[in-house]
Amino acid sequence: MIEVSNLSKSYGKSRGIEDLTFSIPEGQIVGFLGPNGAGKTTTMNIITGYLSAGGGTAKIAGIDVLENPLEAKRHIGYLPEQPPLYPQMTVEEYLDFVYELKGVKSPDQQKHIDKLCKTAGLTDVYKRVIAHLSKGYRQRVGLAQALIGDPDVLILDEPTVGLDPRQIVEIRNVIKEMGKSRTIILSTHILPEVSAVCERVLVIANGRIVADDKPENLSAAVAGERNLLVRVAGAKDNIQQLLRSLDGVKSAQCLGEMETGSFDFLVESKPNIDIRKPLFSALAKAGTPILMLRPQDASLEDIFLKLTEEGK
Amino acid sequence: MLAIFKRDFKAYFTSPIGYIYLGSYILVLNLIFYFFNALGGSSSLSGVFSFMLLVMMFLTPILTMRVFSEEYKQKTDQLLFTSPVKLSGIVMGKYLSSLGVFVCLLVLSLLWPFTISIFGVNNMAEVAGNYIAILALGAAYIAMGVFISSLTENQVIAAVGSLGLFVALYILEQVSTLFYESGAMPVIVMRFLRFLSIFGRFDGITRGVFAVDDIVYFLSVTAVFLFLTVRGLEKRRWS
Repeated sequence: MIEVSNLSKSYGKSRGIEDLTFSIPEGQIVGFLGPNGAGKTTTMNIITGYLSAGGGTAKIAGIDVLENPLEAKRHIGYLPEQPPLYPQMTVEEYLDFVYELKGVKSPDQQKHIDKLCKTAGLTDVYKRVIAHLSKGYRQRVGLAQALIGDPDVLILDEPTVGLDPRQIVEIRNVIKEMGKSRTIILSTHILPEVSAVCERVLVIANGRIVADDKPENLSAAVAGERNLLVRVAGAKDNIQQLLRSLDGVKSAQCLGEMETGSFDFLVESKPNIDIRKPLFSALAKAGTPILMLRPQDASLEDIFLKLTEEGK
Repeated sequence: MLAIFKRDFKAYFTSPIGYIYLGSYILVLNLIFYFFNALGGSSSLSGVFSFMLLVMMFLTPILTMRVFSEEYKQKTDQLLFTSPVKLSGIVMGKYLSSLGVFVCLLVLSLLWPFTISIFGVNNMAEVAGNYIAILALGAAYIAMGVFISSLTENQVIAAVGSLGLFVALYILEQVSTLFYESGAMPVIVMRFLRFLSIFGRFDGITRGVFAVDDIVYFLSVTAVFLFLTVRGLEKRRWS
């Protein structure tokens, strides 16, 4: 549905994006992940035809954005980072304007817009002036705007930024719901969002793609060995010695006294060995009870930091 | 294009800009009309229209400063430029909406010839000439203003920039006349400046000398600036 090949764009001497290539099949929700200034917005702006690429091509549904921009744009609904709203218009006027602007041919304009308002949760503020709406509602108006004309491709630049936690969940659900019948690119630097919504992640750093996989595969790839965080009551040295003497433990590092009379340790096990049971019995035998045991899987944060560091 | 025209035209009247623009014109020009025609006992509108020329230099920037600058600032240009509308369609929609407000003003000013027709006799040729001239000039001015507005996201800069352009053109005109009269300028340069001169042509039309080349000139200036606007917007995408 979306084909991007060798896309590049530079701003003066600083490079924006470099040789970006990826393709997204129909019906996939893809998360675009990267630190600020990585080139997410630039890429989206090129795909939507707002900017021109320095080199390479972007195709939507087989139509080259550069060669046939009008046709390509008909397939896209775009929610930029800052929703493109006219503050002095009411939600109703604004959506009617976008409807006309996009030249949508739907049998019943009012019905179409009503449906979108329901999806985006705008029915209550339909008659209000946009300038008086809260940030969350403006974001929804932006989303409704992108949905006008039922485009097959949705490009959302940080759709949940500035929303409160409940709204974030709502908007994510809306996106998931829409993703059933559409191809969606969603950019974000909020990592849980990716695992919550996306089927696939493209990590972009310094204008390059540094990873392209399912969210769960990514964490497995980086995690490698399994780490455990244990809090044990007792004397520091004894415990450390005991932990190190255990079979399958690669290293045990004391993180300090977090709670009086107990110490936290980061225990790194050798690959493919589950040390939790021996750990428990050994510590119990020594009379030093475990107060807490937590697996330290590499979170998306770690992956993100690791990958984006490597990209430099 | 129609959607943009409608929205922009409406926007002039949902914000104070449209009222300030029309209000200032009406205030100033009706005073002039009162002095020239009512107190002066004249039935010729040429005086008022010549004055309108000056007022236009200062008020057109108010009309055009927001056209693109505000879109950039609100980031709504992203909506326009990613919608399936050609750049030329966007520019025309916006241009026509500004021109539309100006036409509203001209319609309001029809009150003058109407008033004169009650108390005296209009010189219809002169009135028609004046209206055509002012419309042609307004069209050119607005095109210039739209162009300047497409260059910056700051409305104040857009307004001052357009004003600067208008004043510069005006001064060029005056200076060239001055030099010509003192013989300090070769005739060919003078002719060239006269050819470019907006106001020289305007004078001709208001005096009732209706020349096709003058109208073509104004239309060309309009077309050139609208073309430049489209090209400028295209270039923005590439930078």
